[in-house]
Amino acid sequence: MAPHDLRRPFKRPAISDQQRRRELSLQRQAQNRRDAQQHARCLASTLIYLQSPHPESTSEPQVEVEDEVELETE
Amino acid sequence: VAGIELPHKQWPELIGTLLSNIHQLPAHTRQATLETLGYICEEVSPDLVDQDQVNKILTAVVQGMNSSESNNDVKFAATRALFNALGFAQANFSNDMERDYIMRVVCEATLSPELKIRQAAFECLVAISSTYYEKLAPYIQDIFNITAKAVKEDEEPVALQAIEFWSSVCDEEIDILEEYGGEFSGESDIPCFYFVKQALPVLIPMLLETLLKQEEDQDQDEGAWNIAMAGGTCLGLVARTVGDDVVPLVVPFIEENLTKPDWRQREAATYAFGSILEGPSPDKLIPLVNIALNFMLTALMQDPNNHVKDTTAWTLGRMFEFLHGSALETPIITQTNIQQIITVLIQSMKDVPNVAEKACGALYFLAQGYEDAGSASSPLTPFFQEIVQALLTVTHREDAGDSRLRTAAYETLNEVVRCSTDETAPMVMQLVPLIMMELHQTLEAQKLSSDEREKQNELQGLLCGCLQVIIQKLGSSEPTKYVFMQYADQMMALFLRVFASRSATAHEEAMLAIGALAYAAGSDFAKYMPEFYRYLEMGLQNFEDYQVCAITVGVVGDICRALEDKILPYCDGIMTQLLKDLSSNQLHRSVKPPIFSCFGDIALAIGENFEKYLMYAMPMLQSAAELSAHVSGADDDMLEYTNSLRNGILEAYSGILQGFKGSSKTQILMPYAPHVLQFLDSLYMEKDMDDAVSKTAIGVLGDLADTLGSNAGPLIQQSVSSRDFLNECLSTDDHMIRESAEWAKLAISRAISF
Repeated sequence: MAPHDLRRPFKRPAISDQQRRRELSLQRQAQNRRDAQQHARCLASTLIYLQSPHPESTSEPQVEVEDEVELETE
Repeated sequence: VAGIELPHKQWPELIGTLLSNIHQLPAHTRQATLETLGYICEEVSPDLVDQDQVNKILTAVVQGMNSSESNNDVKFAATRALFNALGFAQANFSNDMERDYIMRVVCEATLSPELKIRQAAFECLVAISSTYYEKLAPYIQDIFNITAKAVKEDEEPVALQAIEFWSSVCDEEIDILEEYGGEFSGESDIPCFYFVKQALPVLIPMLLETLLKQEEDQDQDEGAWNIAMAGGTCLGLVARTVGDDVVPLVVPFIEENLTKPDWRQREAATYAFGSILEGPSPDKLIPLVNIALNFMLTALMQDPNNHVKDTTAWTLGRMFEFLHGSALETPIITQTNIQQIITVLIQSMKDVPNVAEKACGALYFLAQGYEDAGSASSPLTPFFQEIVQALLTVTHREDAGDSRLRTAAYETLNEVVRCSTDETAPMVMQLVPLIMMELHQTLEAQKLSSDEREKQNELQGLLCGCLQVIIQKLGSSEPTKYVFMQYADQMMALFLRVFASRSATAHEEAMLAIGALAYAAGSDFAKYMPEFYRYLEMGLQNFEDYQVCAITVGVVGDICRALEDKILPYCDGIMTQLLKDLSSNQLHRSVKPPIFSCFGDIALAIGENFEKYLMYAMPMLQSAAELSAHVSGADDDMLEYTNSLRNGILEAYSGILQGFKGSSKTQILMPYAPHVLQFLDSLYMEKDMDDAVSKTAIGVLGDLADTLGSNAGPLIQQSVSSRDFLNECLSTDDHMIRESAEWAKLAISRAISF
């Protein structure tokens, strides 16, 4: 039964720069991943728009979904 | 042996046999029995021991602590055993009579004539304060009296435990108040009893008194821990617990002692001030800081005592950490005083190592306060060159390696680089060859002793860290990136040489730097792959230092985005290793969610070429999805982990679906579509997704519709909850979720219109 060590950090900042470097890298990677996906989706959306024979009527087939949304937001 | 056998129910008579010893006459038999019971409680999980046996253990232990026991060795063994048995005593602490009895015996033991028994008894009180905080109310007044007496009069090991009791109560209350935002709703598990707030008028004077009991040269000794240090640390926790209320109780002490001839009084006053800077509101603190700042700057230059200067520099750092930054309305650093502040800090960096280290720390937070200032002119610009030069000079001090000074200097340099602007970018650029040269020199050093090698590795880690920050900064804008990339080949060669060392920290830092370089270099990074690949594989195999493994997984993602389909030749190796990592029981669980995300990165990069990995990746994703769908009854940590796992799985699905988009092979994904939808359904039903998961999940629904088109239409329409889920996401306040939902709506409408 070792006596437990009760020393606490003394005159030290709560977070180290090493930990910050890790976190900032993770943030950058997450942001880059989001951007890559966003880019892929943007390309797809443009394609959807261009391929559609009647761009202005793209909302027609989604009546079901749209109706629901309007009901909820009204 | 019990630790191995009890979990398998292979030694059921053990505890009974031990307990029968308790009534034996020879004291050493009782002592050995209690010690053994203590060891067993330390090793064995509480749920493996029946309540009936727990009761008997506690009875035996408490009897051993009781006044009827005359042998001190037996009493001590019993007190230590109780410390270990506390985790078993849930039921007993819920019973008023039993709890009263245990508490009485513990409190009596704190008054034992034997020091080690008093110390052990206070250790029990500390453990009780964290394990049974909600049961403390009836005893808190008595405990306060006991701890106050111990702090005042008892020997240091006991006094330290008595202070630790209050630090531990602060920890509990900070956690409770953070979780419930100060409002106990009744649904919360444990209410805050505000023990610290109630004890404040007597607790604060008690702690302030401890601050005057410093040891000479305690700042030079890394392992030091004494009553003044414990008291100040506790005061800091009290300030975080009660906020503004601490201020009027501490200010008179500061005023009275700050200018006294005795260094102990000046140091204690400064330490008290520094300790209360986190917790109270800026409104309360800023007026005080405005008065004190000038005094502190003078003290840092002129006080004859190193101890006082150390604490003064630390206090300045705390002022800048908590009360300086763009979020605060009234700045404490202004056009008028910034010059003086920086001059003093730079001057102080030439002081003895412990003072110089704190001065670097203060500069770190001073710079951090300007980090959000944007790309416009920064108040630091006029001093940038001077600061960088001073920090580099510190890193070259001969005594910088003996303490944390060199680390502090490089960390501050990193922060200064992070908050550089377009104006100061040329100066950051000049740092690149300098830091590379330093790294080169560490790699050339030969015939080092093991101690020197360890220091060298630490330095390599710091230099790679610094280069990583510089790469990230200069790589983030096109003009600087263009100039910076001329160093890329040399830099990459240096990083690869760092992998020859055996230091996990150096590997991690080099890997992080390479990830940043890959992002900056884009497809040009391909030329480094033949040489770099073996180190990438090595990183993915590093189960032991799981941080290295986790970071390497992230770097694979960076490389996927940089190289796109040029990563294909390396994918067999990478996928094999990632699949092995997922199947491993050895690898830390935190690495698994990023591995799933990484599947998505790879799939998005190589598109339909991911086909050959589907048969391995999909079953893994499906079984992880099933596991992560339901977590009822899990604690907060488990729910957080589960959500990160869900996010990883969904990111994998997203990447795979998007990767196949437009390919002639999209149909091979059809068999997996029902499972993906079922996963989304069950997540929606569970109602415990966090926002990040909601955003990714609704995005996956869109990706499924987009890639599989009309084939997926009917499946989506049959899906129990996708419409409700979509509608919920479309009407949320979170714009990221809404954006994903808009995408899903568009893709679905297209899919069902065919």
